[in-house]
Parts: sequence; C-alpha cells; structure tokens
Amino acid sequence: MRFADLILRQGHLSERTIVDAVMSGNRPAHLDRCDICASRAVDLSRWLDDTREIGLESADAAFPPEQLAAQRAQILRKLEQLDEPSRVISFPRHTARVDEPASGRRVAASWVAIAAAAGLIVGVVGGQVSARLAAPPASAADANLAEPPVSEPAVANNRASLKHDYDDALTLRSLEALDEITPRLVQTSARGGR
Amino acid sequence: MTGASQPPVSAKEADARVAVEVKALQAAGKLAAARERFAELVGRHQRRALRIAFHYVRDAADADEAVQDAFIKAYLHIGTFREELPFEVWFTRILINGCLDRIKARKRRERWIAPTPLDPSGNERNPADYLPSRGPSPEDQVLASERRRQLNGALSKLPERQRLVFMLSHFEGRSSREVSTMTGLNESTVRVHLFRAIRRLRSLLAKPADPAQAGRRIHRAVR
Repeated sequence: MRFADLILRQGHLSERTIVDAVMSGNRPAHLDRCDICASRAVDLSRWLDDTREIGLESADAAFPPEQLAAQRAQILRKLEQLDEPSRVISFPRHTARVDEPASGRRVAASWVAIAAAAGLIVGVVGGQVSARLAAPPASAADANLAEPPVSEPAVANNRASLKHDYDDALTLRSLEALDEITPRLVQTSARGGR
Repeated sequence: MTGASQPPVSAKEADARVAVEVKALQAAGKLAAARERFAELVGRHQRRALRIAFHYVRDAADADEAVQDAFIKAYLHIGTFREELPFEVWFTRILINGCLDRIKARKRRERWIAPTPLDPSGNERNPADYLPSRGPSPEDQVLASERRRQLNGALSKLPERQRLVFMLSHFEGRSSREVSTMTGLNESTVRVHLFRAIRRLRSLLAKPADPAQAGRRIHRAVR
C-alpha cells in the first residue's frame, strides 16, 4: 500500500490504484483484507464490463455483416486495381506518326515570349528611325520663328465671317436713320388730339 | 512421439506468417496470390479495425473509409513490416494515424459548415434510430439504443487521446505497453489517460438523466 493511501484515505486504496488493479489484473493484497475496497473494485469491474459490452454493441450495430462483406470486397477490388492498373490502349500508328513531328517541333513558351518582345522592340525602333528619315531637317530656332502655316479653307472662313459682321453693322445703321425719320406714335396721337 | 501435430500457432504468429508470405509473394511478382493471402488478414482484423475507427472518428462512414485506407496502406507498405512487431500493432498504428488525419480534416471542414443538428441530450441525430427494424423487442431495442447513445455521448466528450487509449485498453483489451506502441505515447502517459478517461466517463454516466426527457425520447423512438 502506498503511503499516501495510508495517510489520506485511512488505509483504503485510491481510485487510481483500483483502476490499475482492475485493468492490469494485478490484484493488490489489500483487496483481500478490505471489504470496502474489494467492493469498489467489483463495482468498477462491472461498470467496465457493461461499458465494454455497450461500446462493442454500438460499433457492431453500425456495421452489420453484409456491410463487412461489402467492405472486404471493395478493399480487394481496390488492391487489384493497384496491382493491375488499367491498360493503356495504344492509338493507331498513323495518328502516332502525325503527332511525332509536332512534338519534335514544339517550341518552349519562353522562346516564344522572347521572340515577341524582340519583334516589338524592332518595330518601335524601326518606326522611330523611318519617321526621322522622312521628316525634313529643321533647326530649333527656325521652328520657333516660323509661323504656323495657314491653310486655304481657313482663310476663306475668316473672310466670310468678316463680311457677315460688316453687313450686320451696315444694316443696323440704315435702320437707325429710317427709325429717326419715322413719326412716333405719341407724336401722331398728340397731333390728332389737337 | 514422432510426427506429432505441431503446437497450435497463436493468432499473432499466424498474422506474422501471413504478412511475411504476402511480402514474399509481392517481391516474387505473384500479386494475385499475395492479394489472396492478404484477404485473410483483412477478414481477421476487419471487425476489430472498424470498432476502433468507429469509436475514434465517431462516424460510421468515416470509419468505413479509414479502415479501407488502412488495409490498402498496409498492403502497399507490407515491405516495411518487421516480424518482431505483431502485425496487429503495426496495422493498428496505420489505422490510428489515418483516423487522426480524418479527424483533423473534419475539424477543418467543420469550420465552414453548419453543425449537425443535435437532439435534446446533445447527441447527433441518427435517423436510423427512429426506423423500425428486425431483432429484439422494441422495448429492449429502445433501452439498448438509449444506453448506447448515452455511452457514445459520454465518449464523445472525452479528449481524443483519452478516448483512443480507453478504447484500445478497454474495448480491445490491449496492455499499456501495446497501447503505447500503437499510439506512440509513453506507457505512463497511457495509464494516466486511461485513468482520467474512466473517471470522467463514470462521472458523465453517473449523472441521473432527466426522467421526463428520457420518457419523451423513448416515446418518440417507439413511435
């Protein structure tokens, strides 16, 4: 008996010692002398038996024999598939020959990207160079002094608008003179009243 | 006495012999024969494996898959099997690792999925419990079902390791040393887990159930 059992439990076995005894089957001598501890051990043992029975029952109820047989068949089928994987049926020769050159000529994606980038650079540089070669050489000073070239349709437009303004002005002035010589309604009514 | 019958071979020795034969047949390329021999091992350990997996993962479908996977892994890796270790222990270790992976995967999944509906006692509803079936009288069936439900409910409240150790030690009758080899835990840790599991289970199952609730449940089940 352990010292702790002697002091703390008035000589009785601890729960843990009883569990160890029941589970391992090593029966301590104390159980032969002490009815209380023997009864506790028996209670625990019965409880464990019941629990085991119920536990196994519940697992077995979840897996009836038919399901076990089905599972076993499924395991063996899977093993067979692993051992003898499905055969790959080869394609006819003609198709294989057609595929061969294509696979031989396959170009890596990185090379395609490099070629595309190089093409872009060559295009941009070539465009710039051709634009410079086509334009006449002109100094920066000339470019500043020179007036912007005026095109013929623009001049025609300007003239037309000026003519229109002049006509408007003329029309107004002639109307003012006409307005001055025209008798007013007030004056006319005054004369009539006299 | 010459020609006397050979001493009876224990189950462990028989398993080891079959496993070694399977290994040799695989190496020789006689795969059909290897599978046939391996089928013996499947038949011998299937029930036990299902019990362990069922109590560990707490789900019949998961347990079924875990057991299938474990047998397939065992067959594929039988080359690594050492004769000094019982086949049962080696296989159980494979099974437990598989179950543990499944539990982890399920926990990850459950973060994103709504929880399973529970009945008033906190157990998962199993529609099969409410269906009539053949067997003992309805009353016995209801009582047995109720006891199972209570035990399963209590077991599900145990931490995973405690549940595993309790199941292997008690349901499977393994010694602390064997459980230690199967689980990779120390022997002393195994004993501590076992004691705690028993203490907790006893306290959980000792709680008096609400008679009104139990009555309602039985009534519903009988209906």
